[in-house]
This record gives sequence, structure tokens and C-alpha cells, in this order.
Amino acid sequence: MEPMDIVGKTKEDASLPKATMTKIIKEMLPPDVRVARDAQDLLIECCVEFINLISSESNEVCNREDKKTIAPEHVLKALEGLGFGEYIEEVYAAYEQHKLETVDTVRTGKLSNVAEMTEEQALAEQQRMFAEARARMNGGITVPKQSDPEPQGPQPSLNT
Amino acid sequence: MQANIAKARIKKIMQADEDIGKIAMAVPLLVSKALELFLQDLCDRTYEITLKKGAKTLNSLHLKQCVQSFHVFDFLKDTVSRVPDLGASDAAAEDRSAAKRRKISEDEEDGNDDESKKARVVS
Repeated sequence: MEPMDIVGKTKEDASLPKATMTKIIKEMLPPDVRVARDAQDLLIECCVEFINLISSESNEVCNREDKKTIAPEHVLKALEGLGFGEYIEEVYAAYEQHKLETVDTVRTGKLSNVAEMTEEQALAEQQRMFAEARARMNGGITVPKQSDPEPQGPQPSLNT
Repeated sequence: MQANIAKARIKKIMQADEDIGKIAMAVPLLVSKALELFLQDLCDRTYEITLKKGAKTLNSLHLKQCVQSFHVFDFLKDTVSRVPDLGASDAAAEDRSAAKRRKISEDEEDGNDDESKKARVVS
């Protein structure tokens, strides 16, 4: 997919921030190295081309797997297919780090929900499960799975 | 070092492609990291050529030759194709971009001006 094929859409609008990129490029090279202005611009264009390349390839991987949303796994496979397999380890590490940083908020939410169950409620819940297990045993039905909290079939009613 | 190169812009660039549909939230992050690694590789390999030529300034010709030297950079062949191979034509390219440059004055580019002037005198 060539950028020029997109008619009516100014791809120049969707470019990378020049000042930021210039700084990054300078940091990537040894400190005493100068970069010609046109080379700066060209490097940024190469970056955009790289993004386009990864996007297209990821999209193809996605389509091949009959998925509708481009997922991280598709990007990793795309990198492999394009000859950038050596990037996979670091890219995946960055992804894992990102997951850790975002899941924490979700996890905290879930934990606080559990903690909201008071001790009384937790105790009541425990009693209920014990009672069910007892009832099953007393009912004369040998149920090997005692750990299964779900009632199996008709249960004698409890009068506790 | 910026860990995430402009994720929002990356997403914008990706979605400018009409063929691309939905993108999972984490994807721009992965692309950003891959881009960082790619750019580092591109800079490193181009700079090797700059050194080999004994130049102090990395220019487009070095970049073009770098792209031509590695298969993995084949997708960049069109992008660098407009870079002229001859040194004399480089000066012409400098003239064209000189007007742009005067609008945005940056100190570090002055050195480059001197170099290109020297080159013109020599050739």
C-alpha cells in the first residue's frame, strides 16, 4: 500500500513531530555528529514508512487469522515476517511492562471488592458451603467430589 | 531516551491507511518500541557509512547508501530514490532547501552550510 495511493487524504498531516524526532535522532548518534537538514527530514520519512509497513503487515496477519482488531500478537508476527525478528524480544518486554502498569489499577479494584465482604459475610458463606457438604454426606448419596460447592441434583432442604 | 515515540501520532498514521480497521489499545505502544529500535539501527548503519567516508555530517547520500546495503531496508528504496548520487547535485538540493532553512534558523545547521559551500568551491 503506497502512501501516494491515498487520494484526498493528506498523509503529511499524519507525520511524526519534527522537533521530538530531531532530538531523538541526535540522542541516538554520538554527541559530536551533525545531521544534515535534508537527512533529518528523510529519516523522519523513513520512520513513517516503517509505521506504514508494520501496519500493513500486521493488518494482513490480522486478516489471515480472521480477526477484526489488530492485536499485539499480530504486530509481533509482522515484525518476524518482515525481517525484524530481532526486535521481538524488546518489543514484547515493553508490552509486558505496559500490561503490568495498567492491570494494577484493575487488580486493585477487584481486590478491594473482595475486601468489602465483611468478616460476617465471609463466615456466613463458609457456613453455607459446609452445610451443603454435610447435607450431601447425610443424604446418603456418596459424592466423591466434596470440594464441589455446587449442589448436584435434588438436595434435602436445610433447617439451620 | 524517549520510551514512547508519539503514540498518538503513530495511531493517526496507522489509521490514515483506509485498509486498517480497529487497533487494540496496546498496539501503538508496540509499534512505537519497534520504531525506536528500527530508527536506532538505521542511524547506526548510516553513521558507519558516514565514518567510512570520513565525513563529520551525516547526510542523505549516506542514508541512501545504507538503504541500498541492507535487504531489510528495501521498503525504503522509493523514499531515498530522489536523493541524487552525485555530489554536485547535492549542492542544488541544498539551494532548494536553503529558502526553507532561512525561515527556521537553527544554530547547529550553520556548520553544515559551511561544509556544502566548501564542497561547491572544490567541485
